[in-house]
Parts: sequence; C-alpha cells; structure tokens
Amino acid sequence: MPLVKYIQHDGSERQIEVEVGQTVMQGAVDNMIDAIAAECGGACSCATCHCYVDESWRSKVPPANDIETEMLECAVEPAAGSRLSCQITVTDELDGLVVHLPESQY
Amino acid sequence: MSIDKTDPFREARESDRTVVANYSDERIPMILRHREVRLAARDWQTYSSDAPCRVPIPEESDVRQVRQLPIEVDPPEHTDYRKLVLPFFQRPLDPTMAPKIEALVDTLLSEAMTKTSVDVVAEFALPLQSRALTHLLNMPMEESELWISWGTHVFRTGGDSLDTEQAGALDRYIEQQLDRAEDNPGADFFSELHRAQFKGRGLTREEMTGIANLTFAGGRDTIINLVSSGLGYLAQNPKALQQLRENPSLINTATEEFVRYFSPKTHIGRVATKTLDIKGEAVEVDQRVSLCWASANRDASVFEAPAEVRLDRKPNPHLGFGHGPHSCLGAPQARLVMRSVLKRLVERVSTLELITAEQAIEQIGGIERNVGFEQLHIRFSE
Repeated sequence: MPLVKYIQHDGSERQIEVEVGQTVMQGAVDNMIDAIAAECGGACSCATCHCYVDESWRSKVPPANDIETEMLECAVEPAAGSRLSCQITVTDELDGLVVHLPESQY
Repeated sequence: MSIDKTDPFREARESDRTVVANYSDERIPMILRHREVRLAARDWQTYSSDAPCRVPIPEESDVRQVRQLPIEVDPPEHTDYRKLVLPFFQRPLDPTMAPKIEALVDTLLSEAMTKTSVDVVAEFALPLQSRALTHLLNMPMEESELWISWGTHVFRTGGDSLDTEQAGALDRYIEQQLDRAEDNPGADFFSELHRAQFKGRGLTREEMTGIANLTFAGGRDTIINLVSSGLGYLAQNPKALQQLRENPSLINTATEEFVRYFSPKTHIGRVATKTLDIKGEAVEVDQRVSLCWASANRDASVFEAPAEVRLDRKPNPHLGFGHGPHSCLGAPQARLVMRSVLKRLVERVSTLELITAEQAIEQIGGIERNVGFEQLHIRFSE
C-alpha cells in the first residue's frame, strides 16, 4: 500500500499507509490527524482539508481543477503547493508522497 | 410559465440580470451567480458587514438592539471575535459528539415510530436542533425545553413578520444566563464568554450578548429547515432512501447536496462601501446588496443538472454555508445533525410516508421562495 508522509506544522511526522483510490484527506482523518478537519467529508465544499504538497512531489501530483483552485482561495494561508487533500487520490505512483499540514484550517 | 419557487432567481441568473428585493424603504439588488457571489463574499472591503442589524434581510433593528458578533463586523475585528468562539463551534468535529447527536435522533425516531405520523417540523427537527445545541454549548439538556418553546424562528411566531415580544424572550434569557455564569461559572458557553479575552481585555456585556444572540438566532430555523426538507425529500423519493441504505458512505455527500439544493439560508446582506453597479442597478454608498447563496447553488455553470438532487454529487462547491471570512460558524453542527439523522434513519426506518405537507414560503421583497415547511406530517415505519 502506498505510504504518505504527513508533516505537521510543529515538524512531527506521521507515515501512513493509504489504500490506492483513497484520498490523502481520508488517510489523515482515518488516522486521527487533527490538522485535517475535512468538515464536508470530501465533497470539495469546505476547504478545511488544506495541505501543502512537498516541493519534490508537486510535478507528480495531478493538478487541481478549477473548482479546487477556487476553493483554495478560501484556505488559510494558501501558498505554493497548496491543495485540498480530499482532491488528491492516492495511486501507486504517489507512494512516498509528502504533504505538509498547516497550523490551522481556520 | 409559472416560476419554480425552489429557484425563483433562475431566469434572471441565466440571462445575467439581477433581481431587486423591494422593501418599503429599501431596494436591495441581489447578486445571483456563483462566481460573483463568491467574489463579493470575499471582498469585505467593498461589501461590508460592519452594520448592526443590517446583515440579515430584512433587517432586524426592530427586534434587537445588539450588534450580532462576529457576523456584523469586518476583519480584522471579526477574525479576533471569531477565534474566541471557534472552540465551541468546532466541538461537533470531536468524534465523541456524533454518538451524542445520534442518541438524540434515536429517541425522536423511537417516538415517531410509535405514532401514526409526526409533524417533522415541530415534533422532530425543532426538538433535535434545540437538544443538539445543548451539546454544542455544553449546557444541561433541560435547557432545551425552553428553547423548544420559542418555536422554529426565534424572532418570528408565524409568517415573515418579525416579532418583538418573541425577541424579548431571547434577550431576557441571554441576560439571565450571563448573570448566572458570572455568579456561578461552569464550563458552558456563557461562562466561557466571561473568561474570553479580546485584545487583552474581557468582553463587554454588549459583546457577550451580541455573540449569544447570533448563536441562538443563527442556527435555528436553518437547521430545522434543512432536516425537514431532507426528510420531506426522502419521504417523496423512496429510491433515494434506498440508495442511502445500500450505500451509507453517501451520507456525507447527501448532506452537502441537501444543503446545496435546499439552501436553508437564502441570502445575506452586505453594505456597499463605494458606489456599485449590480447588473445595471446603481448602488449608493451605505445601500445594501444581497449575496444570494440559494441562487448561486443552482448555477448551471458550476453544477451539472442543478435542479436535480444527486446524493453522490462530488465535487459540490455549494455556498449553502456562505463563503469567505464569514462562512457559517455552525456548519460543523448542521452537518453533524443532518448526517446523524440520515445515519440512524437508514439503520432503523424502513419507509417514510408523506401524509400532509404545507410548504413554507419566504417572502423576499416581492419574490417568493420555498424554504422548508410550515408543517410536514410523515409516517415513520420500522
């Protein structure tokens, strides 16, 4: 199963196996990573599963669509690599993916 | 052609016009398209919320004196107020909350299944909303009995006129609770308002009242209408109930879709800080415009088949909880309540049968829109 590394704002790291087809958001929520709030449960309605894809992975993650791009304008402190983790589906190609989590989703 | 009262803005929205909500002393042009509503909701410098009693439409200066917080201020003050109350409004995200709300649903379902039918508005959604609020505010369950007695809308006893006597009951209640919390502090919402620090000082009584007023008024008819509308839909569409039963993982997307489709909060006001042109309607400084969430949520340029309920709609960038800095603080609570209803419903109830329904019509300055039900009698069968 692909491994996703979640790096929290305080620098602490969690490596989690996420099933292919699941989202990066789901991997975090299922493993009690509180920095991903995911209020809407993955419907791309809320922008509270914001994360930053590590620079080394940005070219490998499929780009955000228009809806996600607009939603990201509402995220707290959007920056290079900003994504909604509910919109990143884990594949074998993303084994080892590294995402950084914001201090707060609000 | 008759106007579809679930989406009375369609023609204007699709022909890129505005509609104007006409009140006796005010004309309020409405922003109708998804993209434009979003942009306005984020542009607080132009579309200001710094206007006591004038963020709701119609305005509420007859029924309250206090400025509701944080909804009736702009950033940066807004953001500081919001941070103070956020811990309470995020309590529904704690995994221990879901079983508590589901237990409330269970009690109501058990009662409903012993009866021939229940009025979902008064006998299900209203008590559920009020009892769930005790968990949000960390208050004793007994308090909900009084809140239930206030009815669906805390400022209204019927129809769309605002009710000063009813609003007075809320004012007195908030006053009493703030007094109580000052004398006997606990871990409840009112006690935390006394403890809160805003810009290095405690909150004034007026600020506490403004926060409490919004807390009680804001998430009341909206949650009741969401739950009632959702149950009304499922009673009329047995296949949808079956779909949820077969695939409970759709409960989250179904909840978002109900928020989009029914849009319990039709719109909200903003005050122009400069002259504006809303599709040919001139807006002077200090005049109001409406950000119409309900219209944006039917925008066909964003939502495929917007007039259809699709329980698996995803992505669903609806604006049912607003958008931008003022987006709904109570969204986690509303979502948890609706999801809990759906979860326990599919586990315990085999059929919902619509007995009678009386649609509620919101009067929006000459425009009529269906919002929830006056009454909705449904038979719940085990």
